Amino acid sequence: MNESLSRLTTRMDHLYEFDREPVSQGKLQTGARFAGLFAGEHVAATEFVIGAFFVLHGVSLRDLILGLLIGNLLAVLSWTFICAPIATRTRLTLYWYLRRIAGPGLNFIYNIANALLYCILAGAMIAVSATALGLALGISIPSLNDIFPTSFGWIALTLAIGLVFTILAVLGFEKLSRFAQVCSPWIFILFIAGAVALLPRLGVHANFDNFVEIAKTKIWNGVAAGGQEKLHLGHILFFAWFCNLAMHIGLSDMALFRYARSWIYGLYSAFGMYLGHFLAWICSGIMVAAVGREMHPGLMAFEAAGLAGAAGVFIAGWTTANPTLYRAGLALQVVTPNWPRWKVTLFAGLMTTILSCFPVFFMKLLDYVAIYGLVLMPIGAIVFAEHWIFPLLKIDRYQADKNKWMFNWKAAAVWGGTLVLCFFMPIHLFFRWLPGYIFALAFYVLLNLLRRK
Amino acid sequence: MKKILFLLLSLLSLLICLISPFLYFFGRIEEGDYKWIFLLSSVGWFVFATLWASVRNKIQRF
Repeated sequence: MNESLSRLTTRMDHLYEFDREPVSQGKLQTGARFAGLFAGEHVAATEFVIGAFFVLHGVSLRDLILGLLIGNLLAVLSWTFICAPIATRTRLTLYWYLRRIAGPGLNFIYNIANALLYCILAGAMIAVSATALGLALGISIPSLNDIFPTSFGWIALTLAIGLVFTILAVLGFEKLSRFAQVCSPWIFILFIAGAVALLPRLGVHANFDNFVEIAKTKIWNGVAAGGQEKLHLGHILFFAWFCNLAMHIGLSDMALFRYARSWIYGLYSAFGMYLGHFLAWICSGIMVAAVGREMHPGLMAFEAAGLAGAAGVFIAGWTTANPTLYRAGLALQVVTPNWPRWKVTLFAGLMTTILSCFPVFFMKLLDYVAIYGLVLMPIGAIVFAEHWIFPLLKIDRYQADKNKWMFNWKAAAVWGGTLVLCFFMPIHLFFRWLPGYIFALAFYVLLNLLRRK
Repeated sequence: MKKILFLLLSLLSLLICLISPFLYFFGRIEEGDYKWIFLLSSVGWFVFATLWASVRNKIQRF
């Protein structure tokens, strides 16, 4: 058992070999590059769904604006004060830093968990693209409360799109990534154009004199759609904060910030937050209100911008699913002995394609985003404690690395214990990560206090 | 030279994409016209931005 795990982790190390060394000074990137990266990454297919869901969950205008302003600010500060400082000090990816802290065995489990979560996310993106193509083919999409596929047409459509996306990802991931870079400014414009073009349908005058009134009564009117839970200021604030929890508090974006000249570059994440997670969410809210509050991204964009709009939703789903499939494939490559890259990507793609048939992942995207961050968050707490708190308390660091442990059992106990605690917390799913994070920090420090020098 | 030309044309296409819904909103053009303009300028963006990106990549590679 130990031997086979050792073989797996050695193979995993080979896969990530290219970024094993800390980034050298000559490879550091400019702030403009970070601004562009964040702006591109956070204006994606998910934005068509999330902003629309806020409307369907009966969020009021005041709660939306305040919640998004504060929540996104907290997200930017999390990147700036938690993720970027560790990344710029170590110049390592989370993969290599976690390996030193938690041991290769736990690192392996983290990668597999990450891969599965990526597959589900990519599946939801395939479903978003399917809404655009389904519109052209006259295939009805599942309704808000559906869990299982509702028609043969939907299954056939998602399977077909998933297979095409998978084959394209197998054939040329890098070319598609370059195509995605070309797409992202246009997708942002599509959000703006779609919202502006649908304002007359909601009754907004050309001089905007009744815009606030329409926004309060016809868009974010505080009335939840049937079967949808009503969300308030706290929910929106926390959602905006934890939407990328795995990236900032969970430290995945160390991979990005290790190229930053200074930790202050974390502030560039504001370009992603306020263009994507503020403006684009508001625009998709306007669009869903204008199409009769139907959760149908394809229809929303088609009504807003015609053929180009529907194509935009399809492309957005594709360009978001593509890197997600790549990352899932990379993480899964460790458990597929001697499989070439194409075969692993194909496997990840097929798994994702099957998941995409189930509307629950797309229709419950807000909850899924919360669970995704929650599952990976304790790892961020463990790394934070080891990096900042251990030196203050004079606790010996990197024990797993120094003693060649396969598993840091204390880290594993903290990860598992935090998830169990979060599962039983008697508060809304959106709020659980914060007490969970504090618990994980305190628990990991307590377990290691005996190792004080 | 080509690189600058493609960059300018792609930015112009994107600008037209952005302006066209406002022209419709302010009642200067019809809905059908706006959708056509948006579609054509979108095609323009994809063509010129791709050409610009490929010229830029060639320069970077060699």
